[in-house]
Amino acid sequence: MLIKRSDRQIAQSARAGKRLAAAYEGLSAGGLDRRAFLRQAGLGGVGLAALGTALGGPRLAQAAGATGVIDHAKPVEIRRNICTHCSVGCTVTAEVQEGVWVGQEPTWDSPINRGTHCAKGAAIRELVHGDRRLKYPMKLAGGQWQRISWDQALTEIADKLMEIRAASGPDAVFWLGSAKFSNEGAYLYRKLAAFWGTNTVDHQARICHSTTVAGVANTWGYGAQTNSYNDIRNSKTVIIMGGNPAEAHPVSLQHVLSGKEINRANLIVIDPRFTRTAAHATEYVRIRPGTDIPVIWGMLWHIFENGWEDKEFIRQRVYGMDEVRREVAKWNPQEVERVTGVPGEQLRRVAQMFATQKPATLVWCMGATQKTVGTANVRAFCTLLLATGNVGISGGGANIFRGHCNVQGATDLGLDVVTLPLYYGLDENAWRHWCRVWDVSYDSMLARFESKQMMETPGIPSTRYFDAVLLPKDQVQQRDNLKAMVVFGHGGNTVTRMPEAQKGLEKLELLVVADPHPTTFAVLGNRRENTYLLPICTQLETSGSRTASNRSLQWGEKIVDPIFESKDDYEAIWRLTGALDRAAERRNMPIRFQADMFKHIEVVNGRPTPESILREINRGGWSAGYCGQSPERLKAHMRHQRHFDLVTLRAGPDAPEEVRGDYYGLPWPCWGPPELRHPGTHILYNTNLHVMDGGGTFRARFGVERNGVSLLAEGSYSKGSEIQDGYPEFTVAVLKRLGWFDELTAEEKASLERHFGANIDRASWATDLSGGIQRVAMKHGCVPYGNAKARAVAWNLPDPVPVHREPIYTPRTDLIAQYPTLPDRRAFRLPHLGQSVQNRSLQVARDYPIILTTGRLVEYEGGGEETRSNKWLAELQQDMFIEINPADAAERGLRDGAWALVRGPEMPEGKFIKVKALVTERVGRGVAFMPFHFAGWFMQEDQRRKYPQGTDPIVLGESANTVTTYGYDPVTFMQEAKVTICQIRAA
Amino acid sequence: MARMKFLCDSDRCIECNACVTACKNEHEVPWGINRRRVVTINDGRPGERSISMACMHCTDAPCAAVCPVSCFYTTADAIVLHDKDLCIGCGYCFYACPFGAPQYPRVGNFGSRGKMDKCTFCAGGPQQDNTRAEYIQYGSNRIAEGKLPLCAEMCSTKALLAGDGEIIATIYRERVQRRGYGSGAWGWRTAYRETVSI
Amino acid sequence: MRRTLLIAALLLALPWLAATQGQAQTAPAAPGRNPISAEELELQSALRGGVVDGRVSIPNPQAAVLIQPEGRDWRAFHNVTLAWVGGIAVLGMLGVLVLYHLVHGTTRIAGGRSGSTILRFPTIERANHWMVATSFVVLALSGLNLTFGRHVLLPLLGPEAFAALSQWGKYAHNFLAFPFTLGIVVMLLLWVKDNLPTWVDWEWLKAGGGLFGGAHPPAERFNAGQKLMFWITVLGGGVVAATGFLLLFPFAATDIAGMQLSHMLHSILAVLMIAVILGHIYIGTLGVEGAWDAMSTGEVDVNWALQHHRLWAEAQLARERAEAAAAPGAVHAGAAD
Repeated sequence: MLIKRSDRQIAQSARAGKRLAAAYEGLSAGGLDRRAFLRQAGLGGVGLAALGTALGGPRLAQAAGATGVIDHAKPVEIRRNICTHCSVGCTVTAEVQEGVWVGQEPTWDSPINRGTHCAKGAAIRELVHGDRRLKYPMKLAGGQWQRISWDQALTEIADKLMEIRAASGPDAVFWLGSAKFSNEGAYLYRKLAAFWGTNTVDHQARICHSTTVAGVANTWGYGAQTNSYNDIRNSKTVIIMGGNPAEAHPVSLQHVLSGKEINRANLIVIDPRFTRTAAHATEYVRIRPGTDIPVIWGMLWHIFENGWEDKEFIRQRVYGMDEVRREVAKWNPQEVERVTGVPGEQLRRVAQMFATQKPATLVWCMGATQKTVGTANVRAFCTLLLATGNVGISGGGANIFRGHCNVQGATDLGLDVVTLPLYYGLDENAWRHWCRVWDVSYDSMLARFESKQMMETPGIPSTRYFDAVLLPKDQVQQRDNLKAMVVFGHGGNTVTRMPEAQKGLEKLELLVVADPHPTTFAVLGNRRENTYLLPICTQLETSGSRTASNRSLQWGEKIVDPIFESKDDYEAIWRLTGALDRAAERRNMPIRFQADMFKHIEVVNGRPTPESILREINRGGWSAGYCGQSPERLKAHMRHQRHFDLVTLRAGPDAPEEVRGDYYGLPWPCWGPPELRHPGTHILYNTNLHVMDGGGTFRARFGVERNGVSLLAEGSYSKGSEIQDGYPEFTVAVLKRLGWFDELTAEEKASLERHFGANIDRASWATDLSGGIQRVAMKHGCVPYGNAKARAVAWNLPDPVPVHREPIYTPRTDLIAQYPTLPDRRAFRLPHLGQSVQNRSLQVARDYPIILTTGRLVEYEGGGEETRSNKWLAELQQDMFIEINPADAAERGLRDGAWALVRGPEMPEGKFIKVKALVTERVGRGVAFMPFHFAGWFMQEDQRRKYPQGTDPIVLGESANTVTTYGYDPVTFMQEAKVTICQIRAA
Repeated sequence: MARMKFLCDSDRCIECNACVTACKNEHEVPWGINRRRVVTINDGRPGERSISMACMHCTDAPCAAVCPVSCFYTTADAIVLHDKDLCIGCGYCFYACPFGAPQYPRVGNFGSRGKMDKCTFCAGGPQQDNTRAEYIQYGSNRIAEGKLPLCAEMCSTKALLAGDGEIIATIYRERVQRRGYGSGAWGWRTAYRETVSI
Repeated sequence: MRRTLLIAALLLALPWLAATQGQAQTAPAAPGRNPISAEELELQSALRGGVVDGRVSIPNPQAAVLIQPEGRDWRAFHNVTLAWVGGIAVLGMLGVLVLYHLVHGTTRIAGGRSGSTILRFPTIERANHWMVATSFVVLALSGLNLTFGRHVLLPLLGPEAFAALSQWGKYAHNFLAFPFTLGIVVMLLLWVKDNLPTWVDWEWLKAGGGLFGGAHPPAERFNAGQKLMFWITVLGGGVVAATGFLLLFPFAATDIAGMQLSHMLHSILAVLMIAVILGHIYIGTLGVEGAWDAMSTGEVDVNWALQHHRLWAEAQLARERAEAAAAPGAVHAGAAD
């Protein structure tokens, strides 16, 4: 039956066949039907020239001639890396031939994705073939992009940086890092900022889960997902609130839906939008945007009312639940319905399921975090989990789905204005710890900063960089305004208030964008000089580890060499430090970088090796258990993926010795030095396991007592613990009191002696570089960080018990008086307005009757420059759109697919953004939704011509954040991206 | 002999479009040609379902029945393929196909059609297996390599199943029995004149 | 359609059958679970004969159609109805003509050729006729090839040659659509005034056009048969052209259902026209002596003209005589001005 042409036949029709094949070759490689595309993209004449070269010409990839055809006669190498898009951590299996990535195969072995991908992962090969990548360093000269060499670029950048440093101090430079970095890159970048002498170093976690980290860490110790994607398979009830993982983390749905099927679990989606996730829910609860706390308190009201709470759990492991009860008592079903719109009966049903059909887990994403009450939201979520005893158990927990592929790792490694790597903070102890790890003197580090005070003051968060540029100098609490930004791997359109951002970017004295693509940062402002683009390769073109949302570290190996002239982050940072050294020398400034920063890091051919960087992280990463994940162990995990269990993530007894008993990716905390073979911690705070099997307790982070009440656990301890009650964190002093001090080896003692001398008693599990304290504690079954209660009351936060506060811009002006936002205040060196802006709502709400919320699409990610340049993905979403309810659309005469004009209350007078209307019942009446991945149109100005030729993304569109407005979380300066107001009209 | 089929479990499909880009990536399918697509019905309402759809490789395929030049053929695995060297781009298969599978590059006169292109079940075309000529016209031939279609292999939630009809029907049946609900094997009645009985 | 309904009915009954066997595993009506399953929707749609469509993100409305059962109807039309109708019409007409010719033979010019001729069709009319005629022939052959070629020519030529032929046939079909359409329009403008029906036509028709013996009824420039031919060509050709353009620019003006309908109209009218035109060709060549001259040289024998178009021929001859007589007067008149 199978019709195959014989060789003879092929030879016969060779001529005709060749012609046809040639015709198809054009299609196959060129990719895009130009005319259709032009029509779709609605391009004007301006972009045509640039487009012509990119579309008509042959594929430009360095791998010339690579059309993805595997030559079956030649050997194929298999390389494994991790998808660079979301935080699920899917393994990518690449087929490489002669240095060209020719094919992608499913990775059946990975316990995380089991062969699967989403649209982005399945199209990822295009990233390293991308003819729209930034190909060489460029700079703006008189408003025109000009190709320059790496050396020239770095020399000019370094000179300018030094000039700014001399004139305005080190705090005038913003080091904006990336969740796209590997752990090693993130760590190196944080180290660079420290050596530069500023704490103004940040990354995307600010705008995705900074409030989660703050809220969760303030509750029970660490700000991370407590369980894992895989563990959701054990859940009986899953609430997804403020998240749309079907689009943002599609592969996670494999585990969620499997769990739902296997356990016949309840899958409840609480969201203002009927999302693709909601389509698979057993129960969908629609809420008014910005009312998460009333919904949670409304559930707790039913739980307390009916006695469904886990009383024993609360008694043993929770501090301050009674204060929560007092707040919750206000949220009777009537009030909840008045504020949130959720009927009491539905909420009762959901509350009952969550409290009684256990284990129950709560999943949240940016719907909860990107709010002026983000930290409080997260705290309320944690409180609900605590009240129902759903923490520290398999199938339960706070399953916080992080955003970018390594946002967890980049957060852990301190790309954050408030801490050094691994949550040590910024106080003198923290600095001294890292100086010990880096083998530099504390005084030399201090000399790099403006002052000791600035050294210990949190920097300026990425959500407010433009305010730090634009505000009057006396409003910014540092020597001068922000003058320069060095942006690695960060889109400019993901931060709210873009009209302000544009002004800020224009006023900067120096802007450096180091990225595989020229991001919105490069084109938003109308800059003409002092703007540099550095081509950085993707993580697929280099090696290193990245931490998935579930805290598992996965090692990615280089698939192909960096394409064009791009370099990896390690090499770029290495070269930059060299250029800074030379610039300092030229100016006779004493500061130097390279020698000290890379003292214990191996550099091969100008590239610091990620292995050596990871070993340095291991040497200093005790506080979050980043000490046991040596590069060798991680590589072994990647080699033996198939031995890890799908549900428990643990390698069984039949696994090779080097990974046997480990949890996949050694999810942190992975205590002790690598030789100790701690298996990692799959489920945080799980007292059912021995600490050496990944068990744990709530962290004793907030002292031992408060107002006379003990903060330590009562009668609860992890399995096998010799101390069968709560205990504080381990220090030398504690060891001595327990009589365990002498169990330290002579070397461990010598190390403590050397580093701490007379202060040896204060050396702790987190600062002891020998790891001895951790080892001894665990030998006795104790968790190094202590055993405390989780805090239902976090007294150090603005709202110790979360209270509802209306969004800054709300159409429910009737609720502002009762539930006002916080008063104006200052934080992070900047003013922070609250009520004064909220009071504007009263005037503008009438003209902006629709609530605007934002979110993700499955095809795009983050700022979207990378994914919108990927032709396979770009084809699937060719237009920026706004989802609007049919009733609202009918009132405005808007048809599905028609152009709409949208404006927000803070946009310049008379300006609109122009987007396609998507008329759908996904959004309720009075609510509209826009995805935030688009850029390249700015208030109806097509900016395609502003991209360097040939690097413009295929799809451009208006940015949602042109419309979004003021509003920041008081704890982290998280932006309010989920609730604002807008007006929509037909174009 | 195996009878190859596709089955999309719409209770699992989340419209992540992995199948679409996996196909594009594997075969370098150009813009405007959508060998596979995901359609969401009842969008935004309870009862919303997404279904990934491509050529179903029908029994008694309508495309083959109406093709004026008889360019279709069915392999021993019951995969419906066609010969682009014979195809004249008349569009008849598109009129007849219940699933909208045939795609046409707009290279013909008056914006009309070039050679038809459609899902090959990753089984290439009439050329010698895994040759460059085959790849350029039809994409890769995974079946010849002993692999299954990449769209199904990469499906994020394992909603899309591809392979021997009896095996995938069994997988689906067991799934429905375990979870207690199932909205059926989409398009099977139309394509294969049968459905998965539970 | 009936079969579809039957299958649907059977399927509807299936859950009930399964339930009676105690193996029911269909969706339990859990609270909050969507009561209408997608399968049921498909079923309902199939019962209604409607399409199942939804939303896709790619800007291609065709892609949003998930299942279109009309494809089956179109297939049945193309493979069965059209093939039979076309086959019967074309072959049947050929058979009738052969039979007629065998029985009746060529209609001779009564009284033989007179030797003097009269202008029947000026150059412009002939040129237009032949433009339409040639494009029609190629369109007809390439069109018939799409339905019958695979049964008739494919076994003879083999796949490669047949595909190449069909490919060129498609190109010819696409390009000749334009001269054909233009010709139809010009034809309408040139001849419409002579093709409006009159009482004479009624008489002509009553007499059967003299086709089956008897005297030729009188006729104007065009007899009723020719008028019918004209209207069939102009109206039928117009509809065929219009539907053809819809097919030539896929989805430009209509959706898949519209294209299927267009194709049905286009093809069924086309085969009927082919049958009619076969008759026309016969009459113009073998069937009637002297008729060929009208479209070749444009000059017809006077006897032929009087036989077939007496009213017109007499009028023409009268006018010629009048013109000849008035010619000098015309010069005078011109001079007087």
